[in-house]
Amino acid sequence: MAFTLELDCVTKAYDEFVAVDHLSFKIPEGEIFGLLGPNGAGKTSSIRMMIGITVPDSGSVRVFGEPMSRRLIDRVGYLPEERGLYKKMKIMENLVFFAQLKGISVPEATKRSNYWLERLDLGRWGKSRVEELSKGMQQKVQFIAAVIHEPDFMILDEPFSGLDPASSLVIKDALLDLKKQGKTILFSTHRMDTVERLCDSICLVNQGRSVLLGVLREIKASYGRSSVQLEYDGELPLLRDPTLVASSNDFGNYVELRLAPGADPQRLLEEAMRTAKILRFEMVEPSLEEIFIDTVESTKAVIHA
Amino acid sequence: MRKVLLIVRREYVVRVRTKAFVIFTVLMPLLLGTVMVLPGKLMTQSSGERHIAIVSADSAMANAVKAELVASGVADGEVAPPDRKNKLPRTGFDVMVLTDPTEALRHQLTTQVRDGNLDGFAWLDADAVSTRKGIYYSRNASDYMEAFTVSRALRFALSERELAEHGFSATQAKKLLGPVDIDTVHIDNDGAKKSNGMGAFFLPFLLLFAIYITVLLYGLYVMRSVIEEKSSRVVEVLLGSVTPMQLMAGKIIGVGAVGLTQIGIWAAATTLLGTGSAAIIGDMMKDAHVSTTALLLFPVFFILGYATYSCLYAAIGAMVNSDDEAQQLQFPVTLPLVFCMAFATAIIRDPGTKLAFWLSMFPLTSPMIMFVRISVSMPPVWQIALSVGISLVSLYGLVWLTSRIYRVGILMYGKRPTLPEILKWLRYT
Repeated sequence: MAFTLELDCVTKAYDEFVAVDHLSFKIPEGEIFGLLGPNGAGKTSSIRMMIGITVPDSGSVRVFGEPMSRRLIDRVGYLPEERGLYKKMKIMENLVFFAQLKGISVPEATKRSNYWLERLDLGRWGKSRVEELSKGMQQKVQFIAAVIHEPDFMILDEPFSGLDPASSLVIKDALLDLKKQGKTILFSTHRMDTVERLCDSICLVNQGRSVLLGVLREIKASYGRSSVQLEYDGELPLLRDPTLVASSNDFGNYVELRLAPGADPQRLLEEAMRTAKILRFEMVEPSLEEIFIDTVESTKAVIHA
Repeated sequence: MRKVLLIVRREYVVRVRTKAFVIFTVLMPLLLGTVMVLPGKLMTQSSGERHIAIVSADSAMANAVKAELVASGVADGEVAPPDRKNKLPRTGFDVMVLTDPTEALRHQLTTQVRDGNLDGFAWLDADAVSTRKGIYYSRNASDYMEAFTVSRALRFALSERELAEHGFSATQAKKLLGPVDIDTVHIDNDGAKKSNGMGAFFLPFLLLFAIYITVLLYGLYVMRSVIEEKSSRVVEVLLGSVTPMQLMAGKIIGVGAVGLTQIGIWAAATTLLGTGSAAIIGDMMKDAHVSTTALLLFPVFFILGYATYSCLYAAIGAMVNSDDEAQQLQFPVTLPLVFCMAFATAIIRDPGTKLAFWLSMFPLTSPMIMFVRISVSMPPVWQIALSVGISLVSLYGLVWLTSRIYRVGILMYGKRPTLPEILKWLRYT
């Protein structure tokens, strides 16, 4: 199997602070991969090494099977978390400039810009200056700048942040299209719902280390149907009973919880019925968000212990 | 290289098409011309004809003074050499001669001056001839040109009379009292050329000022461009395509090209409007010259100065988050430049001093000061070579240093880094 990206024991420290600590993972060609983690986990530091802005202190980064070098950069598309366009320049000028930097000719860049602007409902804005656009529109322009040179590998840092549902949908379709064309996509995000729907594999990083890695389907299956989704009306004091509940995420009239090891779900239901009116009770695979919070909490405990 | 050129082109195009560029290109020569010419004009050009009176019991004396004054109104024989074609415009005098110096008359004239009916009057006592002393009453005592003209007229009249008493004819007296003309001849490698002191001073100063203002202005443009890319976060998008080194090089070259364009436009305009601009700047520039060597070296020293300072300004831009923060940091960098301007007058007057020598070797001042020395009088070639050599070597070090600061700084947001932190940046890979 060919891998678009291979990180092997990549470590990067800034003075005493270890931003990335022996991080290893591989992304097979044509996959959508989620790089997850809380703020400050080392996602951006890792990404900067993937596109060669910085160099790892130790370990290796291989892209398209070769050690990362600036020579490969034109085949990579990068959407940084911190968005930026030249505010005083027109949309079209921005897009053509960024495309040219990736080696696309002016006429071709113009043609592709028009195509993408049309596709993302920005058709009539090409001649406007960036500063005249709303934040969401600028996000879409930024997305175009990252994919206009038809890269084989796209690194997208929070591609959906700041987008309304309709725009998110358009971008999601565009991404699935790109995947169909065989492109590899790496997402960096902490929005679990998107990851759950789009990603094939994930790597969860916390404090610079990989804490959970694998094919998303398998990860979720490994947790089994050990989670309970409960819609209720009333009080649930049992959530604080460690013999029943390992962890919970309570929304007031809806709760997702993980059963304590060996706990009987029947007993949980009985207990719950005693203090509240139960509208729905379902045993499910844990959501990615649960796994995320759970893993981050437990690794924090390990690291602090 | 292709990517550097793309960055260069963007910087260039975006800047040249701004209104600020067009306005500055047109306004700068006008402003400079105004600053240089206007005070001179104002000094020599008073408001219209002056009505003054000369009071003396000796009517022959008074009439002689009047004749001198009236003559000085049309021709100024003392300050300007007689071969000058363009005479500075002078105040005309309307002179009234009064021959009864009584206190009553003095009182009456004083009142007239106070009321503005008379601009002033000269009071010559009976012993004015022997003591060579008179009094000039006027409303604005600070107009020394007027008092000077009256005093000179009196001196001429007195001298003419004494010469006549010693048997000199009027023509002989005129000749004796006529001005002496000194032509200054400037000797340099291109040979000897006639020049005048004023022009020889102002032209190097003007060229130095051109280097100074363009280095400062375009250095600051580089800084602002870095800050702009940093604060608008474009920089990280760019780093997805180019290296920090390519970005910094492209930026410095692009902005520098804008500077050269501007200088080129000014130079072309001066050449095209040669006669016109000479008329604007007036006599000062007549016969002024700077050797062709110096003119050819102008772009070289501009580029050296600009490269040095733009690296420093780029590093400052990378260290800060906003223009405000940059203000404090740019001060120490701008200081040597201002220093050059402060010492310019002394160095143009005497380019051979030790101070001039060392300033023309120190890399932060050498591009400006060495150029001034060359334009005033050619220093030994080894000194020029040494100065340029030091400049290039230090520039090499500076590029190494600033590109490292730049590379790390453009990705750092938040708190402004301290000096120890910046030193740590130099070791990052």
